Amino acid sequence: MSGNQRLLRRETGPLLRIAETMAARPLVSIFSLTGEKSGETTLPEVMSAPIRTDIVQFVHINMNKNHRQAYAVNIHAGKQVSAESWGTGRAVARIPRVGGGGTSRSGQGAFGNMCRGGRMFAPTKTWRKWHRKINVTQKRYAVASALAASAVPALVMARGHKIDEVPEIPLVLDNSLESAKKTSAAKDILAAIGAIDDVNKAAESKKIRAGKGKARNRRYTLRRGPLVIYKTNDGVEQAFRNLPGVELCCVDRLNLLQLAPGGHMGRFCIWSQAALDALNEIYGKNGKAIPEDIMANADLARLINSDEIQSVLNPAKRANKKFLRKKNPLTSIKALAKLDPYAAAARESEQRAEAARKDQRAAILKKRRETAKSKKQYRAQGLAFYEKVSKQGDVCANGFTIA
Amino acid sequence: MALKVPESVLKKQATQAKIAEQAKQASYEARQKKRQDKKDAIAAAEKYSAEYKATEDAAIANRRQAKAQGGFYVPSMPKLALIIRIRGTIGVSPKAKKIMQLFRLRQIHNATFVKLNESTIRMLRLIEPYVTYGYPSRSTVEKLIYKRGFGKLNKQRIPIADNSVIEEGVGSVGIKCCADLIHEIYTVGPNFKEANNFLWPFKLTSPRGGFSNKTKLVHFLEGGEAGNRGEEINKLVKRMI
Repeated sequence: MSGNQRLLRRETGPLLRIAETMAARPLVSIFSLTGEKSGETTLPEVMSAPIRTDIVQFVHINMNKNHRQAYAVNIHAGKQVSAESWGTGRAVARIPRVGGGGTSRSGQGAFGNMCRGGRMFAPTKTWRKWHRKINVTQKRYAVASALAASAVPALVMARGHKIDEVPEIPLVLDNSLESAKKTSAAKDILAAIGAIDDVNKAAESKKIRAGKGKARNRRYTLRRGPLVIYKTNDGVEQAFRNLPGVELCCVDRLNLLQLAPGGHMGRFCIWSQAALDALNEIYGKNGKAIPEDIMANADLARLINSDEIQSVLNPAKRANKKFLRKKNPLTSIKALAKLDPYAAAARESEQRAEAARKDQRAAILKKRRETAKSKKQYRAQGLAFYEKVSKQGDVCANGFTIA
Repeated sequence: MALKVPESVLKKQATQAKIAEQAKQASYEARQKKRQDKKDAIAAAEKYSAEYKATEDAAIANRRQAKAQGGFYVPSMPKLALIIRIRGTIGVSPKAKKIMQLFRLRQIHNATFVKLNESTIRMLRLIEPYVTYGYPSRSTVEKLIYKRGFGKLNKQRIPIADNSVIEEGVGSVGIKCCADLIHEIYTVGPNFKEANNFLWPFKLTSPRGGFSNKTKLVHFLEGGEAGNRGEEINKLVKRMI
């Protein structure tokens, strides 16, 4: 609901709260004590305060310390003894020992934190800082945030309240709530408006506390139920206070420890009409300041894609060009082609010529073999001539021809 | 009752459509640029290969002419040197340390190109015991840049896997592709400083087959490895690349 309101506010213009009309804010139904809708009112401005879990947590942690009771050990504990160290030379540790005799206590160590019956280390003091001071603005911020969260059904459910049957969040009842007198009547009212589930949850959750607390006057633990907020107590307190889990609060004195128990926002609140309307007086121009959002419009996706921003953006940067693995242009023609297409073309044609020459080699060899063969035929002739010539005795008539 | 489309959805669709349009346009332009770059690269490479051939032919012609006339052809002093650091970091004298820092030779087997002029020659003299240097051939320059070439982009060591690296690093000065870069380095052009500084110092391996048997520490002329070894640097680089 608070998100919606922010959107609406944006559309009415930059001067948000002052220029706003009543009609611009969402309406909250008012229910009669029998559960029917009996009227309408506008949602108070506080309900659209920013929801800041960090501030609520901080304030809650510190506020929670403020109802502590001091504890400390007795200032004299462990010191009511006149013990003195025996010193060295007696084969015992040098711790102060109880003097005297006749009792087992004599000669025992005393005073030290390690000794039985001695004083503890760093005895706890009552003047420990138990309470915490919190800035008023922060406290108010936290309460405003918690109120805003109580108006968001998702947060209330997330906190664990059973609000499935509740007709509307925030749940506002008419002013006759404030004059309820009997607890039985209170129970009926809650049943009529669907809040009884939360009360039942609290009632069923009553268990004996785990831990030492059970012996220290904190025997039972209980879940928290609805918080009934009124303007004037005409009997509400007494009517509702005995119901398990139900708490009551006057609008003028809203308590963060009730609005955000455990530091977790989203308490299920039941308002009386007077109380809800009183919020407009308490929080506003004349009253407590309502904290402002850091971002009026927190929809990042919409902001980024809006015309106003897109029109002034730089163009998107391209990813840097990756340089693929370098190939050696001396061995790879493709790599060479990238650098020097002329040389690549030259090398390629040379390679083709070489390949062509290789094919032709067969033809060349064949030719060579033929010429060799044809030369060989003359060899026989030559040998025959030689034979003849060697047989011949004298030189022939003209020196050449053989008879 | 027809459901109304939420305004946020409509807006998103509109912006996405615009982005898609821009992306399409950008990719079209990128493709055009790529095509043009390739054409430029080929044109540049052709121009350079003609230039290299012309200089070689000129040198050959000069030598022949000199021979024919019985005179001598003195080629110009080399303008480019490649320095390789061959000694480690421990126990280096402060002056030499500083000079090697200035040459960006901070690690053993780091190599850089350097323009040869009065000042750099004097600097080299001071660091001779720690480095070896010489005059690299064009193919050495090419090999170094192809295999061990990394560029300094945004203070990072980025491999020269694509001409875009070169264009990003040194395109403002007119060097857009690898052929441009190699040409600038080898012919020590007007933007040699930018081109060389763009190149991260080459990190070479130890030479396959090892350094000299005698000892690395003496001068090359004495059988060691240090100092100026002229054209022999190419052989060493071949073993170290």
